[in-house]
Amino acid sequence: MNRPLSGTTVQIDVKGPTLEEDELAYLRSKLKESYNLTVRGIMVSDEPTPEPIAAAPTTHIIPQAVNSSDSRESEPSRIIPYTIRSGQTEDFPQGSLIIYGDVNSGAEVVAGGDIVILGALRGNAHAGMNGRLSSVIIAMDLVPLQLQIGNYLNRLPIDQKSRGYPEIARIGTEDVIIVEKFVKF
Amino acid sequence: MGKVIVVTSGKGGVGKTTSTANLGTALALLGKTVVLVDADVGLRNLDIVLGLESRIVYTSMDVIDKQCELSKALVRDRRVDGLTLLAASQKNNKDDIQPAQMKAICDKLRSTHDFVLVDSPAGIERGFSNASAGADEAIVVTTPDVSAIRDADRIIGLLQHARIEPINLVLNRFSPELVGNGSMIDQEDVIDILNIDLLGIVPEDTGVITSTNRGIPLVYEEGSEGGQAYMRIARRITGQQIPIPAFDQKGLFTSIMNWFTRKG
Repeated sequence: MNRPLSGTTVQIDVKGPTLEEDELAYLRSKLKESYNLTVRGIMVSDEPTPEPIAAAPTTHIIPQAVNSSDSRESEPSRIIPYTIRSGQTEDFPQGSLIIYGDVNSGAEVVAGGDIVILGALRGNAHAGMNGRLSSVIIAMDLVPLQLQIGNYLNRLPIDQKSRGYPEIARIGTEDVIIVEKFVKF
Repeated sequence: MGKVIVVTSGKGGVGKTTSTANLGTALALLGKTVVLVDADVGLRNLDIVLGLESRIVYTSMDVIDKQCELSKALVRDRRVDGLTLLAASQKNNKDDIQPAQMKAICDKLRSTHDFVLVDSPAGIERGFSNASAGADEAIVVTTPDVSAIRDADRIIGLLQHARIEPINLVLNRFSPELVGNGSMIDQEDVIDILNIDLLGIVPEDTGVITSTNRGIPLVYEEGSEGGQAYMRIARRITGQQIPIPAFDQKGLFTSIMNWFTRKG
């Protein structure tokens, strides 16, 4: 294991839920044992968490709770190591789907996040099913029957003829799904 | 111990029954013992294609109902040694038979024959589950059009789910002229979509119509392109290495060009 900080001393700042004495001791011993870090001190700040606003005047906008699956970094992904054939569906509302195969005509893939197909997309794909509009659909051969990102559906029929290079579908500035050559993420 | 092979397609009218009759006859002509099982209960056709419709006394339904012995229900084709037919009942429907009962019949037939070919009905419902219940392997028949290919894809998914392997493809009613002028899907695209091994290509042959009406499978006819194709497929089923000829209307030059571009 790479341990660049080996032998140094650290200070731990704990916020939020208070840790018990034995939990702190466990943390201390674990850091020493695994990373050779000496804990100099532990600072526990007991900030009271703000009470949620029960009722707000109608002129104010209540801030939405940040959903953990709203960003690409925090969401899980699932790998499907086979081709999805006509009549079969794969859905993964929790995050992104990566498919090591094709999605054939009559098949459907639905994901909370992105959909990456390391093969041909010939059926239907729906990315960002929970409303994450930054979701994208990438396929080595993007020749779908239908694309959907969030609640946007492709309006213009996408050419069913293979173009021979990978493509990406995303929501463009004019609020329509655009498909373009995929170069880099 | 013989092999049970289900011949299926999903879509109707792509040539399951014609393929079953021709492959069964071809295998018998190659010296194998073959029994053809019609699983299309209520809409039986295999007896007509084989020209045996006047000789059917008992059906698989009678065997299941214990009205007769299995061996007694097998109708022998007198034109070739080793070929028999187990007909489907015409007055019952598909729900009258359970998959387990079909499996029992297939298992019994397997012990006395080299090949048991089960002709599946169209669709993905009970008829299909009955036909595939006892199968070790599958032959999926498709024509080179988008609807047949999509249905074949659906059937392949179901066969894989039922752990029937290998699944081989027969591309039927292939027309080199139409592929040549770009109005038919070519074989490479079909294989690319379905992603299973190609067992053979049967060219479009209008002789099928007269063959069906007369009850004489194409493989008996010398010089029939379709018959020769089925003969080659039968040889491949028995394990012989027979190359799939390129049905190319454009001539040798383009074949060579294609060969180069494919390698490159």
